[in-house]
Amino acid sequence: MSSTELVAELPWLWSGLAAYALATFVAIWGVVPRHQVGGVATKGGVSGDNSGGDQHEKLILALLISALIFLSIAIAQRWIRIGHGPWISLFELLMSQLLSLGVIFTLAYWRLPGLRASAVIALPVLWVLGTWVLMLEPTASHFPATYYNQWKWAHVFLGKVYLALLLLGVALSGVMILRQFERTAVYFVRMPVNEILDKIAWRFMMLALVFDSLMLIAGAVWAQDAWGRYWSWDALETSAFITWLALALGLHLRLTYRIPAWVSGAMIIGIFALAFTTYFGLPYLSPAAHKGMV
Amino acid sequence: MKIIRAIASLKLTLVGFVLLGIGAALSYDNLLNSTAWVIVIPLAVLAINLLAAIFTNSRINSQPGLLVFHLALLGLVILVAIGRLTYLDGHVEIVESQPFEPSEITEEFKGPLHAGILDNVHFIQGPYTVDYDSGVRRGLTFSQVFIPDARGNLVKKVIGDDRPLVLEGFRFYTTFNKGFTVLLTWIPDQGVPVTGTVNMPSYPLFDYKQGNTWTPPNSQEIKFWLQLQTGMKLDEAWRLDGRNATGVLVVSQDKQRIELQPGDTIPIHGGKLRYDKLLTWMGYKIFYNPTIKWLFFVSLVSVFGMSWHYWQKMASRPWPEGVKNPKEESKSQQQQGDVI
Ligand code: HEM
Repeated sequence: MSSTELVAELPWLWSGLAAYALATFVAIWGVVPRHQVGGVATKGGVSGDNSGGDQHEKLILALLISALIFLSIAIAQRWIRIGHGPWISLFELLMSQLLSLGVIFTLAYWRLPGLRASAVIALPVLWVLGTWVLMLEPTASHFPATYYNQWKWAHVFLGKVYLALLLLGVALSGVMILRQFERTAVYFVRMPVNEILDKIAWRFMMLALVFDSLMLIAGAVWAQDAWGRYWSWDALETSAFITWLALALGLHLRLTYRIPAWVSGAMIIGIFALAFTTYFGLPYLSPAAHKGMV
Repeated sequence: MKIIRAIASLKLTLVGFVLLGIGAALSYDNLLNSTAWVIVIPLAVLAINLLAAIFTNSRINSQPGLLVFHLALLGLVILVAIGRLTYLDGHVEIVESQPFEPSEITEEFKGPLHAGILDNVHFIQGPYTVDYDSGVRRGLTFSQVFIPDARGNLVKKVIGDDRPLVLEGFRFYTTFNKGFTVLLTWIPDQGVPVTGTVNMPSYPLFDYKQGNTWTPPNSQEIKFWLQLQTGMKLDEAWRLDGRNATGVLVVSQDKQRIELQPGDTIPIHGGKLRYDKLLTWMGYKIFYNPTIKWLFFVSLVSVFGMSWHYWQKMASRPWPEGVKNPKEESKSQQQQGDVI
């Protein structure tokens, strides 16, 4: 980034990432057994008293909220600087996902205290995006003709909620998998047993399917307007469809077979990985998904 | 009944999903060239499987939201099939001031039951503008078209990009493919003059090779180049507008290079050629599919069904206490009921 000039959004972006980083460290500190009050780890669950130890969670919540404020300012600054919203370049998409994933994760963190320890899985995922955005140039992007369409709002909003719900599922999946190992199981003594985590994770998956379906519908309407066809199996559409199908497959597998918690978690992580590559990988690997030149 | 139950097996559903996933991966980027069976067969398997399940599996037919959702999925498959039978896709280039001619459609694909009547589509192409950002990156297109109303008066409409012209169910979308045209008149030594147009390659995509050929009736092929002044800028924003552009037509004949301004005439084997005017042409994508509104509606119904199902599950069995309030966790461990 040495050659990059210090454009308006960068200091805010860095502050937001720093707040996320701090929140991640405090979250990890909080799950280390000697900092927990009460609770004895058992493989796949907990026993004992779970009271106390909430102070660091308040700090995490405060850090998350400040990260969201900083990121919102960063996005607003960039919007003013280049004249359009964070729709186009990978730099913009990452920045805007850092905010939207963060908003929904923070809401869940606040409203579902029993799941808070899973922040040690979710926050590092946000940090993958954070490290990535730091490696990109904040060059102003071109606003293509197809982006004047108002359906982009619906499509992008629904996609953000969908990805965030998958992230919540991933956080619980990580816990279910780490509970397989004695050494890491102790971090999650304050969380509900795996059976409950698994059911909640798949609740998030089902809600994700609702938003995924709506996102695909809004995307198809936009594609019809923008390119004169609602579906044509381009790289993004094919990948998005396969991800939707993987969600259906996962939900149906659970209806058909009894699936151990860690396998169930691995399935959710697999679905998230598919969604992640659809979202962040393909548009930038395949020029076919990126029209608007000449 | 036993057979129907076997067909309704949820294990078959899983196989169907995997096959459909493979079919989707194979369809990537080349649906029109590759065989559609990789999608059709898994969809047919899933449709039959689902139909059997709806009749035999009380887990699906006794939960109204889930039933609405799965029925809507069936509806979508049927609509897509109808769409494939009745659609039309095509491209057409229309010259400024000339009417749309169905016979000029190229790259036409249509379903065997396509029933649209393109002969009922009437409009005349007007001028257009296209905004460019620096780096020749395309912005908005505004294309004027003139449509005859009931009394035969021409009504102007501006279309472009995501604002198609919709006539008789056919949707006309402007494309990046557009450029300049020269209006020429061939005046033979004997016989009546003919006026026609020659489209030059897409602009500014092929800015560097604005050439074409034309063979007048009973004469030899003529090669043309068009030297355009459009105000194009490489590193600044600019607007492409044929009305502000000028073009010198260079004709090469017998190793001679002759430059023509609009209105100029040159003698050519067996007659004279007049360069009348510089015009533009716009390339349209034509799309016809009577199912799109229904697809939209039924897909929303499917999501409604899914949400209804989800809502019922959430309402009947809310969050276990250990989730909302960790201090009550020990209680929640005892009631590990079916949460979802
Ligand atoms: C095509 C054949 C299909 C069949 C035979 C089928 C059958 C079923 C059945 C029997 C259930 C049982 C519900 C229960 O036990 O509570 C179910 C649930 C469900 N199905 Fe399907 N389905 C099919 C396709 C799909 C597809 C393509 C999707 C798309 C995503 C889908 C999504 C769901 C969902 C979300 C549930 C609810 C899961 C839950 O409550 O945990 N199904 N399906």
